[in-house]
Amino acid sequence: MDFTFSPEHVALRRMIREFAETEVAPIAAEIDREHKVPHDVLHKLGQIGLLGVCFPQEYGGMGAGEAGYCILMEELGRVCTSTATNVGAHIGIGAMAIHLDGSEEQKRKYLVPLARGEKMAAFGLTESNAGSDAANIRTRAVREGDSWILDGGKVYITNGGYAHVITVMAVTDPALGARGGVTAFIVETDWPGFKVAREEDKMGIRGTSTAELVFEELRVPHENVLGKVGEGFVAFMRSLDMGRLTLGAAGLGGAQAALEWSVRWAKTRKQFGTELANKQSVQWMIANLATEIEALRSLVYRVAWMVDAHQPFTQLAAMCKMYGSEVGSRAIDVALQIHGGLGYTRDFPIERAFRDARIAEIFEGTNEIQRIVIASNIFRDYGVRIRP
Amino acid sequence: MDFTFSEEQEMFRSMFRDFSAKEVAPKAEEIDHQEKPPLDILRKAASQGFLGATLPEDYVGAALDYVSYALLIETLAHDCMSVAVTLATHVSLVAMSILETGTEAQKEEWLPPLAAGEMIGAFALTEPDAGSDAAALQARATPDGDEVVLEGVKTWVANGGIAGLFLVFAQGPQGVEAFLVPQDTPGLTVGYREPTLGLRSVPFNTIYLEGCRVPVANRLGEPGKGWVIAQRAQDRMAVALAAAGLGVARAAVEVAAQFATERVQFGVPIAQKQAIQSYVAEAHVEVEALRYLVYHAAWLVDQGGEFSFDASVVKNFGARVARSVTNRMLQVLGGYGYMEDYPMARKYRDARALGIIGGPTELYHVRVAQRIFSEWNVEITP
Amino acid sequence: MPNIIVLIGRVLDPSGIVFNRRAGRLFVNREEYLLQPADRCALEAALRIKEAGRPKESPSAEVVALPRTLLPDDDVLRQAVATGADRAIYLAGQVANADDALMARVLAAVVERLGGADLVLTGATTLDTGQGQLGPRLAEALGWPQIVDVWHVEAADGRVRAVRKGKDGFVAVEADLPAVVTVLPGVLKPRYPDGARLINVYRGVKEMANALEQWDVADLVEAQALKPLVERRGQEFPAERERGARVSGTPAQMAQTVAEALRQRVRR
Repeated sequence: MDFTFSPEHVALRRMIREFAETEVAPIAAEIDREHKVPHDVLHKLGQIGLLGVCFPQEYGGMGAGEAGYCILMEELGRVCTSTATNVGAHIGIGAMAIHLDGSEEQKRKYLVPLARGEKMAAFGLTESNAGSDAANIRTRAVREGDSWILDGGKVYITNGGYAHVITVMAVTDPALGARGGVTAFIVETDWPGFKVAREEDKMGIRGTSTAELVFEELRVPHENVLGKVGEGFVAFMRSLDMGRLTLGAAGLGGAQAALEWSVRWAKTRKQFGTELANKQSVQWMIANLATEIEALRSLVYRVAWMVDAHQPFTQLAAMCKMYGSEVGSRAIDVALQIHGGLGYTRDFPIERAFRDARIAEIFEGTNEIQRIVIASNIFRDYGVRIRP
Repeated sequence: MDFTFSEEQEMFRSMFRDFSAKEVAPKAEEIDHQEKPPLDILRKAASQGFLGATLPEDYVGAALDYVSYALLIETLAHDCMSVAVTLATHVSLVAMSILETGTEAQKEEWLPPLAAGEMIGAFALTEPDAGSDAAALQARATPDGDEVVLEGVKTWVANGGIAGLFLVFAQGPQGVEAFLVPQDTPGLTVGYREPTLGLRSVPFNTIYLEGCRVPVANRLGEPGKGWVIAQRAQDRMAVALAAAGLGVARAAVEVAAQFATERVQFGVPIAQKQAIQSYVAEAHVEVEALRYLVYHAAWLVDQGGEFSFDASVVKNFGARVARSVTNRMLQVLGGYGYMEDYPMARKYRDARALGIIGGPTELYHVRVAQRIFSEWNVEITP
Repeated sequence: MPNIIVLIGRVLDPSGIVFNRRAGRLFVNREEYLLQPADRCALEAALRIKEAGRPKESPSAEVVALPRTLLPDDDVLRQAVATGADRAIYLAGQVANADDALMARVLAAVVERLGGADLVLTGATTLDTGQGQLGPRLAEALGWPQIVDVWHVEAADGRVRAVRKGKDGFVAVEADLPAVVTVLPGVLKPRYPDGARLINVYRGVKEMANALEQWDVADLVEAQALKPLVERRGQEFPAERERGARVSGTPAQMAQTVAEALRQRVRR
């Protein structure tokens, strides 16, 4: 067993950390306050190839694998959850779907510019009646000659307000439902019939676009069907697994930041004649937090290794997402408590990180769904098919 | 033991609910998003007697017992924690300090305008280096003839930006002292308002005291005996904050339970899912336990004896329940729980304050432990 | 023959070092290295010259990275190549207390073996020693003109043009190539490495497979030349003292005092 990162991943992390501290951290408060997507930063990330970190070099990517992608999400998550979320939706579900299931032509046409950051991606699945119950989507796609006509809409689509390319899931055969009746389409957002209806007003990750989309007779050429007609759900499930792992990495980064802030404050702040660091209640919080972070770190990078080694990882990816989001929340809650009033004021970054962290337990599959996935997989290994 | 409210208390509760549903609930989102202090609501509350809730009728008060007052705070917090905290600061921290320790002249001068809502009270204790360790005050009170000169900086003064009267704590020659300082006193400047995570319509300000002269007659209580006033005030506030926590937690459970019965996924309302049932049930258990703890503590206040220990216990538990319940119920709402056009995100942000305001949870642990270990004759120092 | 040679070094990350006054020594809590900030600026300057056009008539413009000290591994050079240098040469060999005088002799030998160069760029100063000797010593060893502490540098048509900051303003200085130029830190913003290039350099694959060479110091110069000039005899730290003055009075008075002090300072 070799628990070290390879030299290229060490070098990659060093580069990303410098980028994160120099280019991203200084704008984190502003994009939250002004509810703006950090397009400049995304552009810079694209210029050095990071928006294609895990995609093969032959398609414009960096070839750094899933481990590289986790490192990127961890280091971005450490300084700005909003930026990490924009990047994660672009790489992990938007472009990833095309990487996993695209034809050669589709990869040349779409994956290359996405990997280079020349265009941005999103993934359109969720609808108002289909949140956790993703199979309940109603957006309809009807074949007409060599195109499909899409009608319907999506909600809560990350990057939806500005993405150039969105992988949209639509029902092609209502009778078959999720098994054989849903197809994935690559949609270009400047086509007629595509509209961004509104942006959500969120408690946190306010530096992201969470959009409601409307499709009215949106014409999509047949060559933009991703994978096979009717097999959209298979593609979707595979993208989801990849995305989940990296959300765990982002949670790890956020938790790490919370720990660093807590330690720095505890060694500086004096009350009752001594530094907070000398108080056992604070020591306990720090020790517990640090232990969880180490456990999470091991989990995330072991699963990243398994992905790169082509081993099955669905159940473990769900664990990464569930555990990573919960450790992230616990960590920033501790940091807020240690900082007292300074953790509650918007003049310090703690309360922003607190608001930002909370979404991770909900999006990309609520932690309840993750637990169902984990339990299902475990019981299946014992030959039992459970009903969630 | 009779665990029921009296008929009169039930009647009050009903009246409080009507008021809150009509005047507070519809404005809660707006005042949070715009960070506007709820002056209109306070005016209307004043005309109902709420700003003098526990003050005797002689001073224009409503003469409510502390249990009824706790019901008021709980009810207001159910709809808007900011309004509850503003009111509790005014009543429990400021008005009741004057009631308990003031001379007749002081009571006659200050209580009626506070009760009528003509002036709002603010409590100025915390300093940049004196947070949990409030005894480490650096503000100075220097006697000068028939005046006292106040010098110092106070932070996180709740109601600071809308207050007509400040209760200020400073070190005098014989120890900590408490002073009543009207807002327009020369040498008192209301400064920066903290932008906060929650309780966004409560103004928390920094105030500066520079050569601020007040008459000796504005000192509350005996020279050098101000610390007891601060402690009693904080104990009363601890019970009120726990009642606020009860209100917001109860509201969170109601919102989530209703949502769970309406939100259909996988063909059934999510209320049919055992995980959701566990979350809601566990939250309800916590709310019930807090309810009895709060009203027991309020009852102890009414008995007139010692209640400091119980105040510590209930503040600690109230903060824990409010935080954990709002967090769990937000999860029940899923994505909707994260959107600011639904009430849950606001309740979550507001409830988080309870771990800090009035003293952090860790400090209350120490206080409870102090009492417990003192029974074995061991003295704990924080 | 390369067009531009860049000398790059590394330094311990200062944020990982703590000075313990009681013990009278530095403790390294976290051993991590940064590239010398001024050397990164020198590399950035080199890359911009390359992108602007060739400094002298040559078949192709090439930037070669060399180490400014003897390093235990080639990581610094890999970073340089990842950032855009075309290739790098790692110098293997351990010499105790290798100083700038020694390195100047070694590097002059490297330049000679490479067949010369048009331009050598390096940082004007190092973060740890605070010295700027390497550039000038190398220029002397090569017999080339040197321009030190520059803000800006361009090279074209056989000439190098640089801008230095003088007491009263900026001064433009020119020289014929070949020349040595040292670049100040903080003026140019160094670029980030290209991601794919970085991965390939560290894996040693594809177009980066031959980007790094290794030469032995022992092959370049005689043992005599490997004697350092400087002998380190110990270390001392400056006494602790409070700098500045305490200001007192009312806030308004204190603000007045501080404003006046700032005005005085600007006048000076």
